[in-house]
Amino acid sequence: MKRILPLGLSAFLFLGISACGLREDAATLYKQETPLQVEIKNEPKISANQETEIQAILTQNSQAVIDADFMHVEILKQDGTVAAPMEEARNEGNGVYSFSARFKEDGLYYIRIHAGNEGSLISPRKQIIVGHLTDAEIESLKQGPKNQESSSGHHH
Amino acid sequence: MKIKQQQRDPSLQRIIWRWHFYAGIIFAPILFLLAVTGSIYLFKTEIEQVLYNDYYEVVPQETRLTADEQLKKMAELYPNAVATQYRPGEDEQRSTEFKLSEGTESYTVFLNPYTGEVVGELADQDRIMDRIEELHGELMAGTIGDRIVELAACWALVLIVTGVYLWFPKNSRSLSGVVVPRFTKGAKVLRRDLHAVPAFWITGGLVFLIMTGLPWSGFWGNGFQTLITNSGEGYPPSVWIGDAPKSSAATKEIAEVPWAAENLDVPLSTIEGLVPQSLDHIIETAEYEGLYPGYTVFLPQEKDGVYTLSIFSPKAQDEATMHIDQYTGAILADYRYGNYGVIGKIVAWGITLHKGTQFGLVNQLVSLAICLGLMLVVFSGLYLWWKRRPEKALGAPKAPSAAESKKFLLLILAMGILFPLVGFSILAVWLLDQAIIQRTKRVKKWLNA
Repeated sequence: MKRILPLGLSAFLFLGISACGLREDAATLYKQETPLQVEIKNEPKISANQETEIQAILTQNSQAVIDADFMHVEILKQDGTVAAPMEEARNEGNGVYSFSARFKEDGLYYIRIHAGNEGSLISPRKQIIVGHLTDAEIESLKQGPKNQESSSGHHH
Repeated sequence: MKIKQQQRDPSLQRIIWRWHFYAGIIFAPILFLLAVTGSIYLFKTEIEQVLYNDYYEVVPQETRLTADEQLKKMAELYPNAVATQYRPGEDEQRSTEFKLSEGTESYTVFLNPYTGEVVGELADQDRIMDRIEELHGELMAGTIGDRIVELAACWALVLIVTGVYLWFPKNSRSLSGVVVPRFTKGAKVLRRDLHAVPAFWITGGLVFLIMTGLPWSGFWGNGFQTLITNSGEGYPPSVWIGDAPKSSAATKEIAEVPWAAENLDVPLSTIEGLVPQSLDHIIETAEYEGLYPGYTVFLPQEKDGVYTLSIFSPKAQDEATMHIDQYTGAILADYRYGNYGVIGKIVAWGITLHKGTQFGLVNQLVSLAICLGLMLVVFSGLYLWWKRRPEKALGAPKAPSAAESKKFLLLILAMGILFPLVGFSILAVWLLDQAIIQRTKRVKKWLNA
């Protein structure tokens, strides 16, 4: 009798503790989002004043988005001097959207995609180089993308 | 009028008294400390409003710097620090806050978003209310302190259960000595009543505060949170426990960032790729999604990190945790109070009630009353012992072994399983008893063991 308490307790505590751990699929038990994902493809070398094709491959829930609610493209120069108006991309089917771009001058650009489908909105920016960079642009690159620290060397 | 005498097992009475006595003496100081720090912490918002008023208040002007402009300002003013959090003010008169970390130091910079001027700096170490919270939650002693607080809280439940048994009226229908103290029956009776009667009054509230405080604790709380999150009825992962999702972009799709101090010797092609969303864009998303004002933005610190927006508002219903992909700006998870499971909602309410924020002043005053009551009960309990104790002994009630009563054994076993730290401590005491106390005559005598 005297030993029941310590023995019973030990057994239960051991069982209880060994059973703890968060399920890997815990997130599936709660409200889930279906975020859009995009891969932006461009030719490896883009020169000024030449037509170039840019593709965006849109997926959601690992499936091609064949008919997005909207898919717009914006070209911006990093220093803010050039801003082409937003354009609608052509739907090539199979989740592939494309558009043709012509860059008037060399420099560092952003291709910005605005896409939306089934409640998910995305607006990724891809940084690309057209022709050659000026010293000023290289300098600005050293300061990192304009908005924030995305340091990989300063984590704790 | 005399009613039928209730049959009471005298040995059970003594066992329970003995356990109540020891648990009370051992945990009295910690429970007292919890009551004092809790009373102060209830008024955190009001106290900080007074302490940091100069840091908080700004005069609105026509133009306001954007979040990105403010962030840039931080980088200029604090070149060696890394910004980890941004908190836009909850209204136009409120300064914005940046949390910066520099080595092991972490501090908050309060910024006037209209002028771009720093209105104050506050090191985390100097936040007095955080120190109070640390005292309340972990006795300022890290994990060990956390476990001791949890142990005290769980043993307080044992004290309550045994206390209620001892208080329970035995043979009289009279309310005096039960819900009102007996002032005319002499000092001894009065001392007992000043412990038992107020204890009865605060029992419900105290059980509530303990049960709502436990989900915070490192051991029981962590296990409990894991259990309910796994069941689908708790908090969604990352709100309390669990990791945030990752930004989805593959590494090769992300633009390299050459460091300011280094030469641009990375191949230019690696410069091409996705760049992180601007903070402005994140704020726009937060506003669009209608997050409760006063939220904090946790800035991504890793390449695959996310922007996390988090608000633990005064009222549970306004809480939100949102993760946004660093590159695409897609909302990866959006957990509002409404998305918590049933138990998660109850725990969320418990927490805001525990902190005294759910119902404002009424909530604070009720909680304060419970804390003051606890201080009185702890004090009167100790006084009771002090007055009764014999000269050369601890004065613990003599009782047969707990193993003699099946009822009590079952109760203790149940408590030890529900609250494992109670279980562990009982095991530890049992071992101590077997190894030392029962073998040392003087100690045995002193403890009445």
